[in-house]
Amino acid sequence: MGYPEKYPAKYPQLNEMEFTDTARRILIRILRVAFPHEGFPDGPYERQADQIFELANESTWFRIKLTQGIATLNDLAGGSFLGLDDQSATKVLKHVEHTDFFGFIRRTTILNMYEDEAVWEVLGYEGPSFDRGGYLDRGFNDLDWLPDPRVEESDEPFVEVVSDLPVPSRAAPGADQPTGEAAQASHPGLASTTADQNLTEDN
Amino acid sequence: MAEISQDEASVVIIGSGAGGGTLAYELTRAGIPVVVLEAGPHLRNEDYMNLEWEAFNQMAWLDPRTTSGSWRIATDFPNLPAWVVKAVGGTTTHWSGATPRFRAHEFRTRSVYGRVEGANLLDWPITLEDLAPYYDRAEKAMGSTHRHGRPPLPANNNYKVLAGGAEKVGYRHYATGPYATNAEPYDGRPASIQDGFNFQGDKNRSKWSTLVRELPRAQETGLLDLRPESQAVQITHGKDGRVDAVIYLDSEGNLHRQAAQVVCVAGNSIETPRLLLMSASSLFPDGLANSSGQVGRNYMRHTTGSVYARFEKEVRMYRGETMAGLIADEARHDPSRGFVGGYYLQMISLGPAFLASFIEPGAWGREFTELMDAYARTAGLWIVGEDMPQESNRVTLNSTVQDRYGLPVPDVHFDDHPNDVAMREHAYAQSDRVYEAVGALGTHHTPPYPSTHNLGTSRMSERPEDGVTDRWGRTHDVPNLFVSDGSLFTTGAAANPTLTIVALAIRQAEYLVDKLRTGGL
Repeated sequence: MGYPEKYPAKYPQLNEMEFTDTARRILIRILRVAFPHEGFPDGPYERQADQIFELANESTWFRIKLTQGIATLNDLAGGSFLGLDDQSATKVLKHVEHTDFFGFIRRTTILNMYEDEAVWEVLGYEGPSFDRGGYLDRGFNDLDWLPDPRVEESDEPFVEVVSDLPVPSRAAPGADQPTGEAAQASHPGLASTTADQNLTEDN
Repeated sequence: MAEISQDEASVVIIGSGAGGGTLAYELTRAGIPVVVLEAGPHLRNEDYMNLEWEAFNQMAWLDPRTTSGSWRIATDFPNLPAWVVKAVGGTTTHWSGATPRFRAHEFRTRSVYGRVEGANLLDWPITLEDLAPYYDRAEKAMGSTHRHGRPPLPANNNYKVLAGGAEKVGYRHYATGPYATNAEPYDGRPASIQDGFNFQGDKNRSKWSTLVRELPRAQETGLLDLRPESQAVQITHGKDGRVDAVIYLDSEGNLHRQAAQVVCVAGNSIETPRLLLMSASSLFPDGLANSSGQVGRNYMRHTTGSVYARFEKEVRMYRGETMAGLIADEARHDPSRGFVGGYYLQMISLGPAFLASFIEPGAWGREFTELMDAYARTAGLWIVGEDMPQESNRVTLNSTVQDRYGLPVPDVHFDDHPNDVAMREHAYAQSDRVYEAVGALGTHHTPPYPSTHNLGTSRMSERPEDGVTDRWGRTHDVPNLFVSDGSLFTTGAAANPTLTIVALAIRQAEYLVDKLRTGGL
């Protein structure tokens, strides 16, 4: 998942560039606008911005793209990207979404920001579980808003091959079943079979 | 562990996954010494990590590959066509565990489906009847739930949603298996603790893999010489056209030669044809065992896709076994649906890291973050259906890109067949119905992941001109060269392939033992 060094640093002075605090604030703002999670604290976005700068420092290509991209955003914003509201800032990012600049930020963020414990906490994910005994005694089956379903296989015959002949009475399962009422029983006998179906045991 | 001399002409198995690992066990059990060349390291269960990307980096086959064709993978993951494992135990260490059998008609698709434009359908040279006893043995070896007295796994949260929806739309054939993970202690391994990290190896050893069963037992015989970090790069042959050795790289890039009496290739369906193609010689100019021209062709990857549904209340799909739940009703041949073949709907769960990467590659903005914000209220399934073999879906050697050893990387070319597209659309619509029946607020159709089921690139055929191997997996062209993995599949069926790979390997081992004893090779 590394990023290819597409171009060597032909001009050494390109390596002397440093990202300013303003650049960091702009990048964090980009991440907030491109990945808007109301519940996320600042930490994940800040860590993500710092990681992007770290990667950019390892790659001349992305360093120049990142520098250029941030400058372009200010131009597109008519002065200051940081001054835009969410909607206007999103529009500006739409303009650049197919650039290497934005692609680099997007891919890096997708691949990293969601493996952050602060993010997991907000999303409701509990992370590594083996050392805590898995979920056997910690709610692997605690969903209580649906009935407990059958876990064994059905005893009903399985129709493996349905004839090529049109069978008007057979709609795809679900096509005309009511979905609003609970079907609590395991075997309400809804399965339809027709004479020309090739009944075969399921095993 | 045995130490077999590199000069001793041995049975050499390339790969230690479902095919190679099973074969190694069956042969050593019958008293035959074998060398197993495994490209990856010898990871143990305690090495595995409950972190998605770190585990991926630890286990996955990350050597560069290229892609071409109109499949979306070529755009989204151009250098990762497949999500398979490079480690001892192969992809059995990463698989989830679903073990449905093929149906009888799925061995006879050319006869049952008829001619399908653009598809290279062919009947298998064997039938379900031929394979049934080996399915029994494979299910017992793997401890498949719902089979041979093995109890089912309990319903986890994700299953409650899937099964609840299935019941409401009139599906009948749903269950928590068959699934090769222990619901209760079995075969010296403990019951599942429902930790939810099937794809990351299974630290608890409740899930069957050749790492926890076949390979250690083969080592106990004293007849297995298992060589990790040994990547086969060429199979050589003598003037008589019989293979005589395997050239392989060690972890430092040094080449070794292991003399061979028999070679069995089980490198998964991308590396297996790559190796045969890299073994081209003046006697076999188009690649070893490739007089048919079918090596690398008919690459299949199952028609897949995922559906993630958002609910008002919590699901917490990540708790518990990742794939212990399926709906089989659509795994039938019923052309009235607008396509041939069938598909399963199987529950699946990804953590936030993988879900972010795979739910909608390329997405950003609120449409994306709304999917992620609903994580705890999301249920998931994936579609596993039969895809059409096509001659042009193909693994070739990419002469313009090399790996770090200077070897040509494999290129995987794939175009969806119209039948694949129709099946996927049908499956998306049915999945929506299932989830809407239990109150989904919205569903998202996720495109196929990098291929986990790689099949068909050295297919079995009755006639030598139609395929690469015979009914035993022996190549038509080279009498002491076998293929022993999913590359053998003449067609893909709807079922997850691992059980069938294991059954075929047990059957092939029996044949090999007989031939080695009677001198029939």
